[in-house]
Amino acid sequence: MSNWRTRNRPLVILLTLLLLGLMLFPFFVMVSTMLKSSQEIYVVPATWIPRNLTFANFTRVWIEYHLLLYFRSSLIVALGTMALNILVSVPAAYAVARLRFLGRKAVMYLLLAIQMFSPVIVVISLFRIFARAQLIDTYTGLILANTVFTISFATWMMTGYFSAIPSEIEEAARIDGCSRVGTLLRVMLPIAAPGLVTVMIYNFITAWNEFLFALTFINARAKMPLTLGIYQFVGRWSTQWELLTTSAFLALIPVLVLFYLIEKQLVAGLASGAVKG
Amino acid sequence: MGASTVSLRSRYWNKEAQLAYLLMLPAVVLLLSLMVYPIAYVFMMSLYRTDRLGRLQEFAGMAAYLEVFSTRVFWETTVRTAVWTVLAVVVKAVLGMIIALVLNVEYTGRRTARMLFIIPWASSVPISAMLWKWVYDHEFGLLNQTLRATGIWTNPPVWLGAPTSAFISTIWVDIWVGVPFMALIFLAGMQAISRDLYESGDIDGANATQKFVHITIPGIRHLILIATMLSSLWTFNDFNTVFILTKGGPGTSTEILITAVYKHGFEWLRFSRAAVMAVVTFVILTMLSLIYARMFFRQERDL
Amino acid sequence: MRRMRSIGVLVMVLLLLTTVLYAGGQREEAKPTVTVLWALYDGLTEEYRAELQSAFMAAHPDINLDIVPVPWDQMYDRITTSLAGGRPPEVSVIGTRWALEFMELDAIVPMEDYVSQATIDNILPGTKEAVIEGRLMGLPVAAGARILAINTEITDKVPATMEEMRAEALRVTTDDRYGLIMPGRKHTELTDFAYYLYAAGGDFFEMEPDGTYGRSTVNSAAGVKALEFMVQLATEDEVVPPGFMATTRMEAHPVFYSGRAGYVMIGAWVESALADAGATFDVKYAQIPGFEGTPSTPLVITDSLVIFKDAANKEAAGKFIDFFYQDEWKARFDELIGFPPVTASAAELPQFQTPLYEALNEAAVTAKPWPLMEGFAEVTDIVWDAVTAAYLGQATPQAALDDAARQIDRMRGF
Repeated sequence: MSNWRTRNRPLVILLTLLLLGLMLFPFFVMVSTMLKSSQEIYVVPATWIPRNLTFANFTRVWIEYHLLLYFRSSLIVALGTMALNILVSVPAAYAVARLRFLGRKAVMYLLLAIQMFSPVIVVISLFRIFARAQLIDTYTGLILANTVFTISFATWMMTGYFSAIPSEIEEAARIDGCSRVGTLLRVMLPIAAPGLVTVMIYNFITAWNEFLFALTFINARAKMPLTLGIYQFVGRWSTQWELLTTSAFLALIPVLVLFYLIEKQLVAGLASGAVKG
Repeated sequence: MGASTVSLRSRYWNKEAQLAYLLMLPAVVLLLSLMVYPIAYVFMMSLYRTDRLGRLQEFAGMAAYLEVFSTRVFWETTVRTAVWTVLAVVVKAVLGMIIALVLNVEYTGRRTARMLFIIPWASSVPISAMLWKWVYDHEFGLLNQTLRATGIWTNPPVWLGAPTSAFISTIWVDIWVGVPFMALIFLAGMQAISRDLYESGDIDGANATQKFVHITIPGIRHLILIATMLSSLWTFNDFNTVFILTKGGPGTSTEILITAVYKHGFEWLRFSRAAVMAVVTFVILTMLSLIYARMFFRQERDL
Repeated sequence: MRRMRSIGVLVMVLLLLTTVLYAGGQREEAKPTVTVLWALYDGLTEEYRAELQSAFMAAHPDINLDIVPVPWDQMYDRITTSLAGGRPPEVSVIGTRWALEFMELDAIVPMEDYVSQATIDNILPGTKEAVIEGRLMGLPVAAGARILAINTEITDKVPATMEEMRAEALRVTTDDRYGLIMPGRKHTELTDFAYYLYAAGGDFFEMEPDGTYGRSTVNSAAGVKALEFMVQLATEDEVVPPGFMATTRMEAHPVFYSGRAGYVMIGAWVESALADAGATFDVKYAQIPGFEGTPSTPLVITDSLVIFKDAANKEAAGKFIDFFYQDEWKARFDELIGFPPVTASAAELPQFQTPLYEALNEAAVTAKPWPLMEGFAEVTDIVWDAVTAAYLGQATPQAALDDAARQIDRMRGF
């Protein structure tokens, strides 16, 4: 289309590279640091390329610091959040998108309003509730907290996907004798499957990256997720940056893979789902 | 009147509505017990004297509010939070726009570039903030080392050490986290704009800037609104970045309301004061959300 | 449609995986569990933690032990949240100055109730700081006075006064070498101001005749002298690393470990930290000097182990503490983190008879601890802000400390 763009392509590529340098800078530092030995961390001047390239940090975090333990906890919490969230959000989204009832607008306002609260504000009350319910130091507690904070986003997104399905399709199924729940399961969900997967993975990532709830609700080492486990490298007198960056790198990989799977859908959902409601 | 009551009833308590309530029940129960109740409790704490463990003692009315409102630090923090939010969101939008524009040009490697730009969004904010802290380190960090070695800045500032530079470095991390979201939303919008519009612009002899102002911007106007509103909620609540990078320091030069809530509550165990500030954040965010909701429902009506 | 099906299969597999993992993860053991919040001291290896945990469980098969590593920065917040929620761990390492706060909250129990008398009798009397109203509310776990560490490649001089230290720091400072380390960013502890305040003969509070703390005296002549001196070192003499305002102790001390600073006021962990950093220079240990005309008064810091009242398994917690305080474990712990021993039996072991420990023992004679009071966390924060304001030139040391003292007194109801 525009010849301006063709003419200035080298310029655009240069600009892209500059912007990438800006946005990826900490990750370059991460990679550089994780390949250094503990002795080279605190050396002046700092080097980009380690003098003694070492992969020892990987074995150290894996064997000495049992990173697998934290991976496992993160996985349980993230998968649990994802599952519980879908069980709760999909029916609610269907109701909002397709059924007429008193208070529909109120529910939508509530969902929007809840988006705005920070976990910081409710964490102390949540702690009391969980303590009374014996949910401290359990995955259940962490999953519940993460779910509550992702319901509104998930319901909102799913409402968008459901609304986008032409009502004729649903009506046809109803005429064929499908019940409401039947249409939801057999007609609506398969059509909205890409959206559903997007929402699920987004919940997974949110729970995987969560920090404050884990910090507050989990004391037992065996149940700490990765974000918390990585913090043990912040010692009392100095930080073991080489181990911290190694773990951060390992924690980032699965999230990145998942994110790339859903990124297009997610953006489309955020952009259009947000508008069409 | 009697007839209309009956019709109201049949309109709102029929099988369809019953099913709707049933389907929403799990979500509503979870939200009421684990979200609405805790928030209500925060309101209670702000009106009561609390002990050091946050238990309600006796009703104190507005005493805690008056105490908080009488300190200068609180007002400074509130103003700083506003500046923080507006500045961060504006820079995110501008930078996001630039990235979206370069990604909208076709060249080999565009897909890779797009994938790379997403990384800051995908990674965990607390971990990213830790990484940035290491990047900013004055003695051992690679940022200042690189600036010095390349001669770009022979005497770079101590990023987290002085009020202004600490504010800039902290807000930059928040911006950095939020830019990919903006960029991708804008990009999606740009790609949805019909090419015909640009072609007719070419025929009219419009230059690149004119096309950007008259075609691109109007084409994604609603997306800009939605994205900046969402982003301002996240920015306003960005606890992790400030807490991990500076804990509000030096002095209180990077303190925002949400970190002040945490500091008064968890570090000083002054729960009433913390609750008052939490309520202030509710009020501000509710106003923001109302604007948002109004826009949202207007858009819905338009469609 | 095939894509849909494969997504469906993927979803099912993931859900199944959740259930399996979840069921495995939730399997609770019927044994009582003792949770110990374990401060991450430098030098304390993961290996030691794991060995201690399994050795205890081997000796007490009826008890499940979970030693949870916690960064020091998070410790206080973590404990207060768990107390507020009514579900504290059994045991935690705390800064001894927090003990009073927890006692006011009726959150901790006297050690005598759960720990054997033999263990308590073995504790050196001088380290029993956590005696409140006649009862031992915490066992010292790491107790050490602060000392001055000197990089002998940069300077040999052992300063007798703060003024001498400043002169020598000025002399040795070059473009890439600093005379002195000074952490200038707010963190949980106010150590550096305390070094200079105590060295000037000052204190945080005046003592009432009944032994309670009165008004704040941070703005006394000694306090102002201390802060003026700090500001001079940092902003006029420029003998400290230029990035000092951005560094807490954790980020500032590595400059010394990397061999580029002459002096650092530091604790006993310095030796293990140096070894960890692979330092090759020789270090000499001396006392933190007083100002001219005032005696050396170093800060002494003790951390304690406490047992929480609302914890489920306090009896078992006592057994863990008895186990941990045997020489086999406690002396190795002291050696790893480089703190002087707190038990009489360990004090006689040969590994604690080195120059570092000699300096530490000497410092302990004249050392002074933090005020033991409720709300000290907030006091710390207020004074930190005053110190920061003085560094930044936003207020003179006198004005900043006057303001701090006013705030502290108002907060404490004077």
